[in-house]
Amino acid sequence: MTPVVKGSDPDMPYDARIDRLPIYALFDLKGPKEALAAWSKDTLEFPNGPSRLKRRGSAALCHIGPNRWLLRDDLQNEAALSETLRPQDAPAEISIVRVSDTQTFFRITGPDALEVMSIGCTLDLHATVFGPDAVSYTEFFGIKALVLRCEGGFECAVEQSFGNMIEDFLTRAMA
Amino acid sequence: MQTDRLDNGGRIDRTKTLNFTFNGRPYQGFEGDTLASALLANGVRLTARSFKYHRPRGIVGSGVEEPSTLVELLGDDASGNRPVTTVALREGLAAKSVNCWPSPELDVGAINQMFARFLPAGFYYKTFKWPNWHLYEPFIRKAAGLAAAPAEPPKEGHFENRYAHCDLLIAGAGPAGLMAALVAGRAGQRVMLVDEGSEPGGSLLSRNLMIDGKPAMEWVRSVSAELAGLSNVRHLQNATVWGYREHNFVMVNEREPEQPSILERNWRVRAGQVLCATGAIERTLVFGNNDRPGVMLASAVQTYVNRYAVRPGKRAVIFTNNNSAYAVAADMQASGIEIAAIVDSRENPPEVARASVPGVEVLSGQVITTTHGRRRVRAVTVAPAKGGTGRKITCDLVTVSGGWNPAVHLWSQSRGTLAYDQALSTFRPDKAAQSAASAGAADGHLVLAEALRSGAEAGANGGALPDIPASDDLDYAVDPLWQVEQASGKAFLDMQNDVSVDDVHLALREGYDNVEHVKRYTTGGMGIDQGKVGNINIIGTVAMQKGLPLDEVGTTTFRAPYTPVSFGAIGGIREGSVALPYRHTPVTAWNLANGAFMYESGARWRRPGYFPRAGEAFQDTVNRECRTVRNDVGVYDGSPLGTFELKGRDVGRFLDHLYTNVMSNLKVGRARYGLMLSDDGLVMDDGVALRLSQDRWIISTSTGHADAINGHMEEILQTEFPDWNVFITTVTSQWNNATICGPKAREVMQALGTDIDISTEALPFMAFAEGHVADIPARVVRVSFTGELSFEVNVAPRDLLRLWQRILEVGVPFGIAPIGSEANHVLRVEKGFLSLGHEVDGPIDPFDLGLGWAMSKKKADYLGKRSVALRRAGTSNRRELVGVIPEPDRMIPEGGPLTPGGEKKPTEGFVTACVYSTVHDRWVGLALLENGHSRHGETVHVRLNDGVIPARVTPPIHYDAGGERLRS
Repeated sequence: MTPVVKGSDPDMPYDARIDRLPIYALFDLKGPKEALAAWSKDTLEFPNGPSRLKRRGSAALCHIGPNRWLLRDDLQNEAALSETLRPQDAPAEISIVRVSDTQTFFRITGPDALEVMSIGCTLDLHATVFGPDAVSYTEFFGIKALVLRCEGGFECAVEQSFGNMIEDFLTRAMA
Repeated sequence: MQTDRLDNGGRIDRTKTLNFTFNGRPYQGFEGDTLASALLANGVRLTARSFKYHRPRGIVGSGVEEPSTLVELLGDDASGNRPVTTVALREGLAAKSVNCWPSPELDVGAINQMFARFLPAGFYYKTFKWPNWHLYEPFIRKAAGLAAAPAEPPKEGHFENRYAHCDLLIAGAGPAGLMAALVAGRAGQRVMLVDEGSEPGGSLLSRNLMIDGKPAMEWVRSVSAELAGLSNVRHLQNATVWGYREHNFVMVNEREPEQPSILERNWRVRAGQVLCATGAIERTLVFGNNDRPGVMLASAVQTYVNRYAVRPGKRAVIFTNNNSAYAVAADMQASGIEIAAIVDSRENPPEVARASVPGVEVLSGQVITTTHGRRRVRAVTVAPAKGGTGRKITCDLVTVSGGWNPAVHLWSQSRGTLAYDQALSTFRPDKAAQSAASAGAADGHLVLAEALRSGAEAGANGGALPDIPASDDLDYAVDPLWQVEQASGKAFLDMQNDVSVDDVHLALREGYDNVEHVKRYTTGGMGIDQGKVGNINIIGTVAMQKGLPLDEVGTTTFRAPYTPVSFGAIGGIREGSVALPYRHTPVTAWNLANGAFMYESGARWRRPGYFPRAGEAFQDTVNRECRTVRNDVGVYDGSPLGTFELKGRDVGRFLDHLYTNVMSNLKVGRARYGLMLSDDGLVMDDGVALRLSQDRWIISTSTGHADAINGHMEEILQTEFPDWNVFITTVTSQWNNATICGPKAREVMQALGTDIDISTEALPFMAFAEGHVADIPARVVRVSFTGELSFEVNVAPRDLLRLWQRILEVGVPFGIAPIGSEANHVLRVEKGFLSLGHEVDGPIDPFDLGLGWAMSKKKADYLGKRSVALRRAGTSNRRELVGVIPEPDRMIPEGGPLTPGGEKKPTEGFVTACVYSTVHDRWVGLALLENGHSRHGETVHVRLNDGVIPARVTPPIHYDAGGERLRS
């Protein structure tokens, strides 16, 4: 996707930039936090509460449900993470599944990022409600989506097979 | 020529002249005008014809309450049925009257007036019955409705939906709404202030009132400026709160967003609290010929005079039952309109009211019984309210005020209750059903000072109140007058639907005595205006006729939308390619580039139906693709298949509960086909389970049911077995696959290069192995949907396109070709493999499909077992899966009903699929047939509209019954 940027067309309704991102390394983690921490040899730094994330370097560990987390990192770190987490060997009381390809991420940044997000997203993303470490599954143009903040805006992930459709929606929103 | 434009005043920009046309004639107005005010300024009084009788009609109101004049906008603004009072004037605007031809002045439909006595309410219920309704239906449908919907979407721009959240949503930026927004905004609440007008102020825009010793609009300007400086306040004008649903979910239609490319925006707002500061709507009075052009609401005349500097008449009679019309009279007098008389139905109008118009004759205790004129009012007849001789007064304007109704529509939509207020003679908000409140005139506070205070109190929500600005206003007092009993001529209650007092009386006589029934029988209160000015008069008329107080009659239900909303605004940007969701795989772009015919094939996936080549007809293509698989090798993209990874100690017994057969004893590295049943023992889905390790499994589901099965599994786990150690992760989009199928599939695999032993011995049917294919990490599964030797090569989506292209490259020597869903369908029908939606259509159990072997006898229990056993213990006939061979050889449409002997009798089944089989060189099919398993060899009959097709019943497997090919 060529980034959609307000500056490229002054008639665009919103001052925002939209990028479709390359895939991230993603691991779906389920089970008791203690068991996951022990299996990962304490390499995982868990967020403080529900619907919060904890960043460490390029990695972010997102709480996405009871006893459920999503670990995100740059794709170049996927192999190393896989080595550390050993999904196929993990004990029965936890589940670790590589899901890097399942999500397509979009980044919406700029002064009007919140306005653009609110066209598709039902969640209240106001800074007083959805803070810098907030993360949540919600809806984006009718599709289940993960939303989190990034510098200057938001990142939003949808199931990979809906990526083209969401790009279509966002392009229309900026037209 | 703007003959009726005042020389001074008004909130219009006289430096900006706008040209427009109405019914093809050119006119001019000013920036700030509405189409209504511009027409009145140009002396246009006859603007419409009525819906049923085609009576001459003019402009009655000044806002959303307008009942009479609807217009159709033309050209780039194309839009139907717009109240003329809500159309902002702009350069080049073109509009025409609706429901008249060729013009309002000379309307052919006016002939209906001659037959008016034959067209009372409900006449169509009684008239169009013989010989049957369908004879008349085309004519009635053609005659029904007003303007047509635009034939084309807008040429430029798009609509938008947006979600919003706030602590307090205020509907209405009149004095109460502004006051509430100011107080709440200053307190730091997230406020959304929404107003339907082009600028804030509400009634203050039309009235000459003072606040804190200055013109009220100065206060409005000052408050608006302060609100604009508060980052926690969002203030929208030209935006209507049109729907109020559960959990304070409110819909707002913003008609002129600041972004030029956005035509309209529909906001979907979750509000902590909603304040209805929607003002009040003046009601009309009911007397003879009260619909004649020139009869206008007093508040509308005041608006045209003060806000638009327009004089709607030269000599007026004012007819009222309350004080507010006296303030209007004063403003009219100041603008140069001669007041012939004020006709006040009250015996003793308050002196304070009379004092506001010294020198004007007040005819107290009198009423207008009728108006005179043809296409506009020329005079009225006034008579004592208690009866007596009338006198005629000449005039060209009749200004009426029947009192005020709080605009309770939103409140009522929120399911808040209403209570009748005797003093105000109207219904006002009572008990809230949600976190909602009303303020200002919407709550019955019809005097400015009260409105400001109630707004402040609502904004403070129990907190400290600021100083309430001082204001002047006439006290409000009203004596209800629901209808003039000695009216002469048709007295209209609902002008938009041509509903008169006589119609309501007829409905009551015919037994429709509930107010909701009256509404439906007469259509009173329906239509675009939803009876904003007349509904209460209908209630009053019912009350008078039945001898009941109004609160016992009650109101009809207020429904969304409050005012009309464009369909485009509701749909937002969900149009064109995104009207429906669609999904893609990494191969979708390749498919499109290679000429695939794509369509939706379950769960919103766009898949290739077939890959036509030059000169091929549809059936040619499908036949070629089928022969490719049967004789050589084909490849298809199986990525959309639902795929889940299950992990945990209890997965085995969980799968034993879900599937009909035993899964827990499956060996690592092996796969097993299974059926899932619903609680009532009917087939829900089928798929394959793979055991990756002792505690890790992969299961596949049908494409269309993937989400439903995911929910099904989670529900069972969370409600029935919450202690079981099972984790479910959706990996449909983590494992895409290219399936290589056909007798030369193994050769293609070898040509690709793989470190997996793919020999029959090492990797037999229903086994899988992990390794590399074409140097790509892969899991290869030996399952088959086509009945041929198949290798399902599962890889990460990031690698699928590379794998796909490589398969097609190395497959050339083997005659490989991509195949689409159509060929897949043919191949599975030949094999008798079931398809959800075809053979599995809801009421089918495994025995019906000949899959009784999949019902485990070893397991003590599993989902659906008991229901199947109960059903099988009964004696009812079941529809069972069979093959059918049409004789003569021809296609049978899917769903073709089987009836005994092909006669018009209850069906005994239907054809689920019929395809052209290239291996048999003829049409073959599958069917569900009563007791079908015992009827092989019989001839059954498909009964179609164009004839009967005999078909021979066979076993459902048309090809390779022993399965040697897929096991090879």
